[in-house]
Amino acid sequence: MPWRAGLTVADVLRERQFVFPLLVVSIDGVHVPRDAFATTAVPERAVVLVLHLMSGG
Amino acid sequence: MGSATTTTTTTTATIPVTVDGQTIEVKPGTTVLEAARMLKISIPTLCHHSAVEAYGACRVCMTEIEVRGKKRMVTACNFPIREPLAVFAESDATKRQRRGVLSMMLARWPNVPAIQTLAKRYGVQNPGYKHPLRNEAPDACILCGLCVKACSEMVWEDVIAFAGRGARRRVAMPFGKQSERCTGCGTCAYICPTGAIKVADEKNNPVDPARIRKYGFRLTKEMATLDDSQCKMRRVGTAHLVEIMDAYDLLPTHNYKFGKHAEIARISSPVWTSLVRQNVPDGCWVGCQMSCAKAVDDFVPRTGPYKGRKVLVDGPEYETVASCGSNIGVFEPHDIIELNFYCDTYGIDTISFGTACAFAMECYEAGVLDKRKTGGLDLKFGNATAALELLHHMSRGEGFGVLVGQGIRQMKRIFAERFGGDPKFLHDIGMEAKGLEYSEYVSKESLAQQAGYAMAQKGPQHDEAWLIFMDMVNKQLPTFEKKAEALYYFPMWRTWFGLMGLCKLPWNDVEPEDNAKWPEPNKVPGHVEGYENFLSGMIGGDFKIQDILKMSERVYNFQRVFAIRMGHGRREDDRGPYRAMGPVTAEEYESRAERYDGQLKELVKVDPAGKSTAQKMALLRQYREEQYEGVLDAVYKRRGWTRNGTPTPETLKGLGIDYPWVVEVVKARMAEEGSA
Repeated sequence: MPWRAGLTVADVLRERQFVFPLLVVSIDGVHVPRDAFATTAVPERAVVLVLHLMSGG
Repeated sequence: MGSATTTTTTTTATIPVTVDGQTIEVKPGTTVLEAARMLKISIPTLCHHSAVEAYGACRVCMTEIEVRGKKRMVTACNFPIREPLAVFAESDATKRQRRGVLSMMLARWPNVPAIQTLAKRYGVQNPGYKHPLRNEAPDACILCGLCVKACSEMVWEDVIAFAGRGARRRVAMPFGKQSERCTGCGTCAYICPTGAIKVADEKNNPVDPARIRKYGFRLTKEMATLDDSQCKMRRVGTAHLVEIMDAYDLLPTHNYKFGKHAEIARISSPVWTSLVRQNVPDGCWVGCQMSCAKAVDDFVPRTGPYKGRKVLVDGPEYETVASCGSNIGVFEPHDIIELNFYCDTYGIDTISFGTACAFAMECYEAGVLDKRKTGGLDLKFGNATAALELLHHMSRGEGFGVLVGQGIRQMKRIFAERFGGDPKFLHDIGMEAKGLEYSEYVSKESLAQQAGYAMAQKGPQHDEAWLIFMDMVNKQLPTFEKKAEALYYFPMWRTWFGLMGLCKLPWNDVEPEDNAKWPEPNKVPGHVEGYENFLSGMIGGDFKIQDILKMSERVYNFQRVFAIRMGHGRREDDRGPYRAMGPVTAEEYESRAERYDGQLKELVKVDPAGKSTAQKMALLRQYREEQYEGVLDAVYKRRGWTRNGTPTPETLKGLGIDYPWVVEVVKARMAEEGSA
């Protein structure tokens, strides 16, 4: 997705419509805690890996 | 690949706090204790636990702060930071206050290790007077109240409370008697800082109860502290998934034609949260604090034998919202609750009813059925009144309800034979396999889930494997072999819950705080370790995941052999309807034309330009059906079965179940299929 200055993990998730609560996110292999999604900036050309876990009956 | 570093910026309003000279920015509402701990500065506590709301009872955390030039003492555990302040975690005033509190505690409970440790830290000696309530037991109750808070906030039972006043104050059950409401969950014992509460009754005589309790308590704490930020199972149960599935185009709508709907907000989780009773244990499982089964009180049905009377409804959970809601085009919550109620009352599974009703509705809208054939029911998608009437007919064994009550497999045959329906169309849209109706997920874009559904032993229930996110979203299963490995591990793992009589939900509907740091977080390794210890603690031994999978594999292969002996268990039994794999109708294809056209280009290597929708659908279908056969081959190979899905004698031998009468069954099938 296009990068812009100030882009955060939360922005990436919102724009990709990743609304599931059990997500595991890493930026270039470095894990990002869930409570830091809104405050963690995504560097230009970074590889953001988003893993959806599973839940439900 | 870019830089391995991340930049952290602050985007929300924060407040500067200085603790013993170190400054940190915290969110409004952060407590003094939390701010200190962020800076690794220790403030002592006795009645504080992260699993329950802080209430400042023991006063051991009293700490001096300075706000706008004025100094005062506060309880650090529950004092919220609303404006800039300074904290003096070890000032003379702070120490003096704590010494006074600890001196009184030490006088009363001189041998409790938790108090001795803190007294030593602050140089408090045994006071020179005898406390009138002196209790020399090392595991004396220090009246911190954590057990009372835990029973109320974590277990939602309020079985124990403080009784008496002053010197007579104590923790007790009502009227000093054993309460019938106590489930023996042990949460109070877990949270007690002195060991005053002990679990005395080991009802199941486990080999090592302490080992079981250790992992059980871990789950208890996760439910109390993490659920609100994860799946909210305690608030709304599995219905939290409704809007999530819609967002990912996975919510069955109009007999699985589509995966989302414009009216989703009408049946989303906030609606259910407002309708279901809150903060009570559901009693579904003794001591389980997930309490995800929900109830609607004082519901008044508008139809049927209970019309106009107040009733209690158990549910609805996600599958019911989808099956009796979106999949039949109903977006009125009260109608879904009423369908839920009457399904329960009549003993009809909500999934089977909803999926069967959705099939009948599509047949009605496609012209296979009309009012004459349905006995006057106008079975259009969204007609909740007709759906309810159909349900009442089913329960009474009347009219069109008799046909629907036989399930989709029989309806397909009957609609073709009696009503002239196209058998191929009926087969394509009839969402059943092995005679069971599909549960409520759109599997079109996940090949692994298509197999997870259609290959499941009991029929297309997702309780063997739910792989949609791993496959469709995460792209973790790019090859047939990886899909096959997932279709080995997860069905075997999840089969084990059935073998043990355990609920699967605590495995992955709450996850450990550190789950993301494990190599395969999808498997929730921290919880797998808990189950290993649960089994080992219960029956003795030292079981590992490989042992657990092997237990399931034996049963799973037995189940397959039973199916073979009953004339089933063939490759064709492991294929589902095409609606589970791709778009059956032009309406479906065109609603997601960009996605499907893209797949034709990228995967099928065909340019869709200039081709009709019918031509494109045929090309896509051929590709997807070939892919499905590839998955079947890979899964059979991984499971040690023949290409027709028969466990080989070697596989049975490896599992230690090569009894002569079992081998005889598979050899006969292999001879029949020419693979002997």
